[in-house]
Parts: sequence; C-alpha cells; structure tokens
Amino acid sequence: MTSLACKQSSVLIATLLGGALCASAYPEFQSFVVQHSKRPVNCAMCHTHADGPEGTAPGQIGRLNAEEQQRLGMARAAFTPGQNVDSPILNAFGNHIVKSLGKQKFMEIKLAPAQLAELLPVDSDLDKDGIPDVREYLDGTHPVNRHDGHPWLLFKHNFQKSLPQIVLTLVATVAGLWGLGHLLSGFAAATRLKEETADEA
Amino acid sequence: MKLSRTLEQTEAYLGERFPVDKLNYASMVQKKEVPVHRLSWAYYLGGLALFFFAVQVFTGLMLLFYYQPTVSDAHASVEYITEHVPGGALVRNMHAWASSLMIAAVMVHLLTTFAMKAFARPRELTWVSGVLLFGITLGLGFTGYLLPWHQVAVNATKIGLESVEQIGAYLPGAMAEWPRAVKETIQGEATVGQATLSRFFALHVIILPLAMVGVLGLHLVSVQLHGMSRGVDEEPRRLEKFFPTFFIKDLSVWGVAFMALFVIALCVPFESFYAFPLFEPFDPNGSTPDGIKPEWYFYFVYYPLEILPYWVILLGSGVAGMVLLAAPWVLKNTTRKTLQLLAILAGIYLLVMTICGEQIYHLFKS
Repeated sequence: MTSLACKQSSVLIATLLGGALCASAYPEFQSFVVQHSKRPVNCAMCHTHADGPEGTAPGQIGRLNAEEQQRLGMARAAFTPGQNVDSPILNAFGNHIVKSLGKQKFMEIKLAPAQLAELLPVDSDLDKDGIPDVREYLDGTHPVNRHDGHPWLLFKHNFQKSLPQIVLTLVATVAGLWGLGHLLSGFAAATRLKEETADEA
Repeated sequence: MKLSRTLEQTEAYLGERFPVDKLNYASMVQKKEVPVHRLSWAYYLGGLALFFFAVQVFTGLMLLFYYQPTVSDAHASVEYITEHVPGGALVRNMHAWASSLMIAAVMVHLLTTFAMKAFARPRELTWVSGVLLFGITLGLGFTGYLLPWHQVAVNATKIGLESVEQIGAYLPGAMAEWPRAVKETIQGEATVGQATLSRFFALHVIILPLAMVGVLGLHLVSVQLHGMSRGVDEEPRRLEKFFPTFFIKDLSVWGVAFMALFVIALCVPFESFYAFPLFEPFDPNGSTPDGIKPEWYFYFVYYPLEILPYWVILLGSGVAGMVLLAAPWVLKNTTRKTLQLLAILAGIYLLVMTICGEQIYHLFKS
C-alpha cells in the first residue's frame, strides 16, 4: 500500500512538474527536422495529434480521461531509459523515444536535437517499412507510417519483399502476351488463307 | 436553294471527315497499314493513354466498393482500403500512379501529334476530340484529387476554385459574375464541404467518365477510319499491317506498361513523394500544413500563377487553349519543322515547370 501510494504521489509530482515544463511539444526537434530534411513536418511525427498535445481535441491533454491522465503522468515520470511508456498524447515513435532515452536525457538534448538520431537505437523500425526510425527522423518522414518514407529506400525494400509476386506477374504477363500474339497471328493467317482461297476460286 | 447548298456542303465536309463507307472491318482493321519512320514510336502513345484509362476504370471500380464520399468518412475509408482491405494498397496505388501516367501519356501524345501535323485535313475532328479528351483527363485528375479528403486535397481544391472565381475581375459587365456562379455551382456551398465532395464524386465517377467514353469512342473510330497520319515529310521506310503486326506490338507496349505500373505501385507508395502532414485528414479547425500545392500536372500553370500577374496567365492560357483547339485551321499552312519546334519548346516548358517550378518560384520570391 505504502509503495503504491508513494508511486502515485511521485507520478502526481512528475505530472505537475512535467506539466509545467513540457505541456507543449518540443519545437526544437521539429525545427531541426524541417531544416535537415527540407520537408514540412508537424507534431504528428511524435504526437497523437498533429497540432501537438495542447488543446481539447482527441489525443490532446484537454480530452484525456482519468486513466489516460495517469498513463501520461507515468510517461512523464519515466526519467530513466528502458521503462515501458504508453503516453496517450504520444504515438509509437514518441513513446519509443521516451523509452529509449528516458525523459531526462531527452530534455537534455533539447538544444541539440541532432543528437536524437545518434542516441536512438539504429536498428529500430517501428513501421517495418525497411527504413530505420533514425533515418526517418532525419528524412522528415513518418516513422510509424509504412507508406511514408524516402521513395528510393521504400522501392528497394518493397522490391526485395515482393520479388516472388513480381516474378510471377512477369511470367504471367509474358506468357499471356506470347499466347495472345500467336492467337492474333493465327487469326490473321486464317483470314488471309480464306481470302486467297476465295480469290483462287 | 441556299439551304440545300449549305446542307450539301456540310454533308461533303462531314463525309470527308467521317467517311462512313469505310466503316467496316476490312477498311478499319484488315487493310489498315501503319507507316514506319523515325517517329513511329509516337503511334503507341495514344494506345498507352487508353491502357492507363482502362486501368483507371478497373481500379476505380474496385475502390468504389469501399470508398465513402462523405466528409466524415472519406479519409477513414481511404485509410481502411490502404491498411485493411486485401490488396487495397496496391489497387489504390495503381489508381494514383496510373492517373499520373495517363496524364503524362496524353500530354506527350498531344505534343507528338501536334509535331507530326496529324491534325491536318481530313483529321480535324480527330484532333478536336483529342484536345477535348485532354481537358476531360485533367478534369478527372482535378476531381479525383479531392476525394481522399486530406489536407492537401481540400486546400488545393480551394485554391483551384478561387482561381476560377478570380477570372471574373477581368470580364466585362454581367459576365464578371459568371466565374463566381461557376465556382458556386461546382462548390455547392459557401466553402469546400460535403456538397463539393458529392459533386466532385459524381463528376469523377459518372459524368466525366461517361463524357470520356463518348468522346473517346468518336476519337478511336475517327483514327481507325482515317488510319495513322504519315507524320513526317519524307517517305516512310515501309508500311506494316495494323492487324496483326502493329496491334501485337501495341499489346506488347501495354504489357511493358502494366509491368512497370505493377512494380512501381507495389514498391513505391504515391504519397511518399509528399510530406506526411499533407495526407492527414482535413480538419477545418486545425492548422493548414505547409507545402499545399496541386498535383504535378498542374504545375505548368500553378507556378507561373504564383509568380506572374493573374491576367498574364489568363491571357496566355486562353490564347494557348484557343490555338490548341483551332490548330487544324489556324496552323493549316505551318510546316512540320515549325510545328516540331513549337512542340519541343512546349515540352521543355512543361518539363522545366514540372521539375523545377518550385525552385523557380523561390528564386522569384527571394
């Protein structure tokens, strides 16, 4: 009981502290990504809502119920890396950042947002699109949307993944065209023969 | 007396442009021959555009099974197709890629036909129907862009419709109100909303495809009646049978196009070329993301519109449109060399504006 009360009170303190410190998104990271990738990005890269955590829309702080507020508080209290976080205002990538770095380190690198790419696990690929999250962060593409990514990298990954389907389709297309070509040539030859026979007659 | 002469002249004119005596299998298929020369490759472009149109019809019908044309569900239904329907992402991607490829094929077809002076007598109607098909194709692109109801779709449509309204400022008297009336008719309400989506949906899936099929039928029959235009000043190297030789080659081009489309649609999501905030559901109360612009095939008019005064673009587009439509009469005596030069210049302009339009825009604005 005591430990639970202690945990709850630490969550409450962290919520209040965190709320004061970081109720808004971190625009430093967004500015860095825009500058680095030359692509417009918004808060949806890490947050649930495209306009960030502040507001009353779904996925924003003003709309959270008691259970979600508790999850938010626990996420904000995850100062050290390795803790499983499930913040309702963050998407899978946002939660992944907090889990990988811990809140403390994340806030430390706020003024050097390029470091985030160095500190995140290099092999993590949340959307399984073949492009590591770190690369997606630098490219300004969405780390949890498998349809968004550098077009060439997506092509390479999807081509390898779909090679059997591509080969089968190629074989079917070539065979179909070969058969159709011969069929049409046959029709033409038959018509010619018929004409010649009629002429001779 | 005068009326009967006019009727006779009209009959003779139409008879030459639409020779019904050739409306039989022997003339249109069996005896038809295709000239072989240095520009023969251009004869495959029309068929290629037709192939992509067929893909659009097929994939469009597939998408219709799931798409919901309401502002509340349109985006979610598109997302459902992409994420949950088996093969949905492939079908949707094929629809998106084929629309661009169809427009590209139509543009190149129009330019090469122009360069080959294929609009010359008696092919005037073939040409006019071709220009109309180009307009309908762009219309299909414009109306289809809105349907997923994401940020770039709605905001780009707003910009497009506002451009229509602006024309009124340059028209005299009561005509000044016409563009506004056109915009309101298309839009259906005060701003781009449910009425607009319903109208664009009707235009995209029924009205424009029906118009396309009608004009396309006329275009194809006309092409078959007159045969391929010679296209070059010199004598062709040889003539080849349309059926089966050219037809089989045409089918092979379709096969290559299908494979290219299949691979690209399977491997490269069309949206990956755009910033992801542009594909979030449209929120009238949310912020508008940066980078709103129309599809690439409108860049040739969009970027100049951003740089130059509106009246310059209006005048330029009006003159270009009129010349294009009336080419068989206006450019009757123009040589193929001049037409080729004009087509190359137009092609360079389209390429530069499509690929470097944004950079040119930033250059002018800085």
